Amino acid sequence: MSQEYTFKIYKEPDLRRSSLVLGWSEDMSNLGRKATGYLNRKLKGQEFAEIEPEDFFSLGGVAIEGNLAQFPESKFYACQEHELVTFQSDSPLAGWYKFLNSVLDAAEHHCRVKELYTIGAMVSFSAHTAPRQLLAVVNSAEMKEVLGQYELARDLDYQTPPGERPTLNSFLLWIAKGRNIPGVSLWVPIPFYLAAMEDAQAQKKVLSFLNERFDLKIDFSDLDQEIREQNEQLARARSRFPQIDDYINRLESNLMLSEEENGELIKKIEDFLREGG
Amino acid sequence: MGIRFYQEPQLENPILVAGWPGIGNIGIIAVDTLRGILEAEEFGEIEPWDFFYPKRVSIRKGILEDLEFPSSKFYFKRTEGKDIIFFIGEEQPTEGGRVYAEGRKAYHMANLALDVAEKFKCRRVYTSGAAVALTHHTTKPRVWAVPNSESLIPEIRGYGNTVLMSDIEGRGGHGNITGLNGLLLGVAKKRGFEAICLMGEIPVYLQGLPLSYPKASKSVLEVLSHSLKVEVNLGKLDELDQEVEQRIEEFYQQIPSEIRGQLDRLKHVTYAQPAEPGPITEEEEKRIMEDVEKFFKKRGGRG
Repeated sequence: MSQEYTFKIYKEPDLRRSSLVLGWSEDMSNLGRKATGYLNRKLKGQEFAEIEPEDFFSLGGVAIEGNLAQFPESKFYACQEHELVTFQSDSPLAGWYKFLNSVLDAAEHHCRVKELYTIGAMVSFSAHTAPRQLLAVVNSAEMKEVLGQYELARDLDYQTPPGERPTLNSFLLWIAKGRNIPGVSLWVPIPFYLAAMEDAQAQKKVLSFLNERFDLKIDFSDLDQEIREQNEQLARARSRFPQIDDYINRLESNLMLSEEENGELIKKIEDFLREGG
Repeated sequence: MGIRFYQEPQLENPILVAGWPGIGNIGIIAVDTLRGILEAEEFGEIEPWDFFYPKRVSIRKGILEDLEFPSSKFYFKRTEGKDIIFFIGEEQPTEGGRVYAEGRKAYHMANLALDVAEKFKCRRVYTSGAAVALTHHTTKPRVWAVPNSESLIPEIRGYGNTVLMSDIEGRGGHGNITGLNGLLLGVAKKRGFEAICLMGEIPVYLQGLPLSYPKASKSVLEVLSHSLKVEVNLGKLDELDQEVEQRIEEFYQQIPSEIRGQLDRLKHVTYAQPAEPGPITEEEEKRIMEDVEKFFKKRGGRG
């Protein structure tokens, strides 16, 4: 099967029984990329392979973001000491089945991956002051049992609403199921007004679970500092703009805002944080 | 990536009739209505995962139970006239964000559909879609027929309410058919199948609306059932047409009266037998197109 898929291995990692943790670049609050990047930094992940882009991305030119030319990336990192593999990637625009099988081929055949963990964010209509939750969707009853010892919401019922499509994480989880790889999609609901910004609390939530699951012994003091700063910034926004404070107060009282008010809150918070808070 | 058969029916020189969603869903409604009326039996499908992104996930109590893909299924019906294989795709396989099938995946799917046709010794293929035309929604749509072989032209000339491209004003026998309806016609030619694409006319001002256009499906189905020598009751399509017609009228009344006045002139375009006040001139045609474009631009894709 592996010849059919297109990945390039630079250096064979020495892994015996590893787990794959995956995050997409286009995730809300950049959660997938931030969380996998954090693991790579803390656990000294070494890049060892990539998926070639030509079958999966539009290569008609390059996008420019933040003054820089961008190019699609789909890279594997090995954290050998912890038997962990991370995969950071832009979301493919075509050939999804082939792409996702390539990810699992590289993981299974070159890293002896036995479990899969995907990271994703979803919209929450709660205030940022409410504790972040962690939801898990698994691809086998056995995996659900294994997760019983962790603080996770594990009983989600969901069906894709009309007009929407499943996520790449669900697609991957389904393919993994067909290949008998136990897998979990981890989801952190993020307050809607932080969706376009980074949310350190959400990162810590998912990373804390992985820390516990793999006994990584990560020191989160840097992330805790980011959380404190984020909370202080949002507190400043509330004290400076009574309207923001009113909206957030209502969310804290479990009241819904109107669509217009939601839009206004998003804009005011984003403007405030972009200006340095 | 391939074809999965649930059963292998015994068929005698069947005809393949294919349909996919497209403008006004004209083709798929025609083909699927015929399939339903004839109670054709499902016998196989093209495995979807290499062609399509999934359409629905079902999660129950935290466990991913199922992932559904758009289907591309084969059905068969033995009739007294001719045996028929239906191929009905829920979506067209697209690449790079395009709306209609194009490229490697589409070519592969067209070939897989014809592999099934070949396996059952089918030599004739029909596809069906929409022809965007300067017509009015209150007039009966014609069917534009495009064959892939010269030898089919005399037969088409015998179909009722049907025109060849050379009969269509200002076309000079030229045009193009986008998506799988066109591609299948071409691939069929390459592989030596006879094929005809039947396209029901849809008024130019309705092409961008998220509405089906069953009136044109009915025209297509009349031609198709005649050609296949099957008798069908199209009452179901009439009901659907009445429902849609009401919504079209509501939309039509929202068009500014100045433009609507231009569009009203299309009611008098009866190409075969021009009626008073006569067919519109080229200049008027141009103006109508400009007005329609202007109107839709202003609406900003709110259709």
